This record gives sequence, structure tokens and C-alpha cells, in this order.
Amino acid sequence: MIELLSPAGDLEKLKFALMYGADAVYIGGQDYSLRANAKNFSREEIKSAVILAHNLKKKVYVTVNIVFHNEELYGLKEYLTYLDSINVDGIIASDMTVIKLHSELNLKLELHISTQASISNYETALFYKKLGAKRLVLARECSKEDIERIKKSTNLDLECFIHGAMCTSISGKCVLSNYCTNRDSNRGGCAQICRWEFEYLKDNEKITNIPFSMTPKDLNMVPFISDMIKVGVNSFKIEGRMRSIYYIATVILVYRRLIDKIVNKTLTDEYTIYCLNILNRCANRESTPQFFDKLPGISEQYYLGRQELSNQDFLGLVLDYKDGIATIEQRNNFSVGTKVQFFGPNIETFNYEITEIMNEDNELIDVARHPQMITKLRVPTRLEKYDMMRLKVFDI
Amino acid sequence: MKKEKILINIEDLSDINNYKKIGINNFLFAVDYFSIGYKSFKLSEIKNIEGNKFLYINRILNSTDVDKLKELADEICIFDGIIFEDIAVYNIFKDKDILLIWNQSHFATNYSSINYWLNNVDSAIISNELTKLEINEILDKCNKNLVLNIFGKNPVMYSRRRLISNFNNNFNLYNDKNVILKEPITKNEFNAVEDDNGTFIFNNTYFNLIPYLNEFNNDKILYYLICANDLSFSEMVKYLNGKIDNTNDGFLNKKTIYKLGVKK
Repeated sequence: MIELLSPAGDLEKLKFALMYGADAVYIGGQDYSLRANAKNFSREEIKSAVILAHNLKKKVYVTVNIVFHNEELYGLKEYLTYLDSINVDGIIASDMTVIKLHSELNLKLELHISTQASISNYETALFYKKLGAKRLVLARECSKEDIERIKKSTNLDLECFIHGAMCTSISGKCVLSNYCTNRDSNRGGCAQICRWEFEYLKDNEKITNIPFSMTPKDLNMVPFISDMIKVGVNSFKIEGRMRSIYYIATVILVYRRLIDKIVNKTLTDEYTIYCLNILNRCANRESTPQFFDKLPGISEQYYLGRQELSNQDFLGLVLDYKDGIATIEQRNNFSVGTKVQFFGPNIETFNYEITEIMNEDNELIDVARHPQMITKLRVPTRLEKYDMMRLKVFDI
Repeated sequence: MKKEKILINIEDLSDINNYKKIGINNFLFAVDYFSIGYKSFKLSEIKNIEGNKFLYINRILNSTDVDKLKELADEICIFDGIIFEDIAVYNIFKDKDILLIWNQSHFATNYSSINYWLNNVDSAIISNELTKLEINEILDKCNKNLVLNIFGKNPVMYSRRRLISNFNNNFNLYNDKNVILKEPITKNEFNAVEDDNGTFIFNNTYFNLIPYLNEFNNDKILYYLICANDLSFSEMVKYLNGKIDNTNDGFLNKKTIYKLGVKK
């Protein structure tokens, strides 16, 4: 089984993730999830998400992955029972209370051990197998050899992150946020202090005036997906429950097609390079493999005051296509002459130069400059609702 | 505070006799290769020391490390106990005659999960990011006596990356692997220490629970844990006798939040 697993911060993102090729999504409820300040899902929304996914023969996993304090224990049993009753496919957890309740309550949903549990060796993996885990989300620090040995020892489903932001620390082993902001990182309040800058001192003297930084670049496993399949990884996980629909759609589609091409043995070097270009552009951050093939060194992190400038590549969302006219909701400015690229789950990505733009009243305009304005473009190639239009930066 | 309940981390072997003289007889040693962040020792250096000797195995281990640890199992079992971070340590030693204390950093935060572990091990170390109220509820509701950290620089981050070397190498700086990181807005200072196995960061202000000890159910405490990082014996004794300068009380009186804008 090979599964592409997408984050989904809300129902809209979930729909895009599934539409663009994810086999499963992981979501957080409004309690007990490590993205406490994301929109997250109400209980009714989780139920809707499960129905929607199951209708597409896809899966929903719910994160119950905070490290519980005493006060959060109340209501947990009832919550887990509810998730089971609405046919959630699995929960992702690291706290031992959740793990033991999974067994005590005889829940039919799968138990997945969160990356917070820092599993990076076969003995720890065997421990969780004995407790009923169906799947292990391995520590991001695992090397190829670590993954291979864990697979051979446990034969459990293995889930590994393949793309997105990295913790500087081993996941769960950081409370910098607690100390600097009083926000509890292991209950979803992480303020990402490891992305801040520090003065660098020894014996009360500054070692240098250059601010100390320890921010890792994002993870990007495009070059190693094939190797990961070979060593037994089953679920390929994208990070980013707080990311936009554009990010989700772009990243999921890239990995969907990459995995399919690997499985079908049609992957080319050109396509791999295209994937890397698109992914790096989409996140506004550099991304690179991290621990799979080596111990990350100086090239795998950032220094100095790097700014994350958001680009305006996402130009519009296709709402309708009829008789050669695409109705597009504007997301960033575009004008006559702009070179764009259309992409979507059921079309081959293609380039296009905008020759004319009409507004909602079918009047010709030169520029679409108002957020979410409805525009119409004459596009000869067939599009579908929810396809996306982005600035053309790279050739296909 | 009963001195015989103190378990103290040793960084300088010559301190041991001094501690014994004041009634402290439980010693914790970080172990070469299997520990991170603390001054560590070879097993051969510490095996003949008299007193109760605990090993502090606080690294996250990969499978090769686990193999190496198994090779040392017999040698390790002559010690009195292990305080462990990685669950592999539990799996290796669970059927052996050695006391096991669960210390999965920042995870011993509720009585229910701690009680799971107490069904399998001898004790657990209560996490540092808790209020007095939370600690007392844990002590009351747990099935065995627990270890309470009462003094030291609290660990705040453990990374497998060589964060200091990477930075130093990038800017061609002298590679001192024990530095202070000062966050300029909050003024918090952190002590970062690096070795081949990663970077370990401590809060640079000593946490001091000693003045609050009478507010806890001391009968439920197995050991009072002290990590006297960088402190000499004589300085440490001053704190044991009530000095509070340059220390803080961590989260004992400060509840952490996690949902912004929501009053818990």
C-alpha cells in the first residue's frame, strides 16, 4: 500500500487535498490537536469530512496528539468514542493515555503513533506494536537504514514526512515556546521560537554581532521517494495544516504525479527537476532532503535575517468552464499578456498567455486587480471547476 | 527535605565524597555516547563508586545505538538504576534486575499517562512545565512514588542537528560548542551544548523548587532530583541551604497557555 497523506486545516482544504490526489488526510479537532490555533474541525465537520472522504474511497485520520495535562483528560474518552462512532479511520497520538484508551475502549479505528513519540529504532517500534499500533509515524530524524530496520523488525505500516516545515528539535523535545512566550508547544501553542534570532554569547561577551539562527530549511524528499518505497514506507506525509488551498493543491499534485510515475516507471529527470522547481517556488522557502541520506549540515539550515516574502503566483481559481470560456475567481492580479499555467487534478498542466479578460458583465478589461473578482477568459483547452491558474515561472 | 532522598547529577567525580559527607548518597551519571547535554563518564570510571549509582541515558537512539546498548547490558546492570528517555531502554532492561525510571522529556505531564508507566517501571520523573497544582494532583493520583526535579538548568530543547557547529562553520567562527543564546525581546538566555550526537539546550537560569518543597506531598516523592550544572559543591550547598539568588520557579506559579484568546 502506498498512500499520499495530506494535511487539511479545514473542510475547504480537505476537499482540495482529496481532489488533487491525496489518498488520505489528517485533520485536527478543536481540542487535543497540536495546531491549537488553526481553524480545525468541529465534531460535525469531522463527521462531514469522513463521509466526504469515504464516498471517494479515501481516509481521514484525526490528530489527538497533544501531550495531555491533567485538565485535558476530562472528556477524552467520550471524544475518542465519538471519533470511532463516526468511522474515523485512525487517530494519531503519542500520549500514553490515548494509546491505552484505544485498547481499553476497544476502538475499531486504527492507532497511529505520532512523530512526537520520536520513534527512530526497532525496539521502540516493537514497544508500540505491542500496544496495538497499526502504524508508526517515524521521527523525522530517521535515516534510510533506520527506516529499513524498523520495517523489517515490525512489519507495521510506516508513515514518513516527505515535505514541509521541520522542527529544529526532535519533535516533542522542545519547550522553548513555553519559556519565551508561556505558550505550551506540546499542547499546540508553539510560537516557533527556533525561527527567531538570538544573540550569541560566551562569558557574557558577544561572540559575533551576527545573530544566531537555527532554522532548518523545509523538507523535500522528491529525490528519494523511490528509495522510500523500496525500504517499506507506506504513507507519504505532507506537513502543513495551516497552509493555503494553493499550497495544498500544488504540493499534493506534484507528489501524486511523482509517485504515480515512479510506480508506472515513467519518471524522467526532467519531471523531477520540474517538481523541485514548483515545490520550492510554492513555499517561498528552500527545501531539501534532511536526515534520510545524511546528517543535516550547514546547507540544510538558514542563517541571517531571512525574509519569507509571499509571492503572488496563485492568480485564480476556476469556477466554471463552458463553450471555451473559463470563469475564474481572481486571487492575485493578472492582465492581458500575462503568461500563466493551468493545473488541476484531471488535466495535464499547460501554459497559456492571456489574450483577453472579461469581467462578470462580459465587458473587456485589461487587468483583474480586485481580490476575488469574477473574470472570464477565453481558454481553448478544457478546464474543470477547481482547477487553478498560476503565474508561469517554469516550463513544464 | 530528607537528604537521603536527594539524587544528584554528578559532573565532577571529586564532588562525590563531599556530597556523601552531607548525607547525599544517590548519584546520577550521564554516560558517554548514550547521554547528551551533560558531562558524561565511561562506565569503567564510575562502576566502583560507592553509593546508589544511577545512569542517565537521555539520548534518542537509532537502531545501531540500540545494538551497542544491548552489548553493554550486563555491564550496565551492575548499577542501581537507569533514568531513560528512549523507550528502547525500557524494552532492553525491563526483565533485568535494575531499577527503571521513565523520563521521556516533557511527556510526564498527567497522572494517567504516568500511571501507565508506573505499571511497568519503578518510578517516573515529573515534567518541569507544570504548576504546583498540577504536580500535586499527579503526586496524589499516581500509584507509586515519583521523582521531582527540584533544582537545575531545565532542558528546553534537544536537536539531532549540530546547530552550533553549523553556525560557526558557516561564518568561520571558532567552534566553541558550549554557548549562550540570548533572545533579545524576552531577554531569556539559553545554554546550548553540542556533541557528535546533537545539540542540547538548557534554560540558563537555575530552576529552584526547594523553597516550595513544603507545599508538596513529600511522602509521595521517591527522589528529589538535582542537576547542579556548572555549580561547584560549595555553591550547590548554599542553594540546598536556602539561597535563592539567580534562580527562578519555572512554571510552578505560571500556567502555560496554548489556545490564544481562550481563557482556560
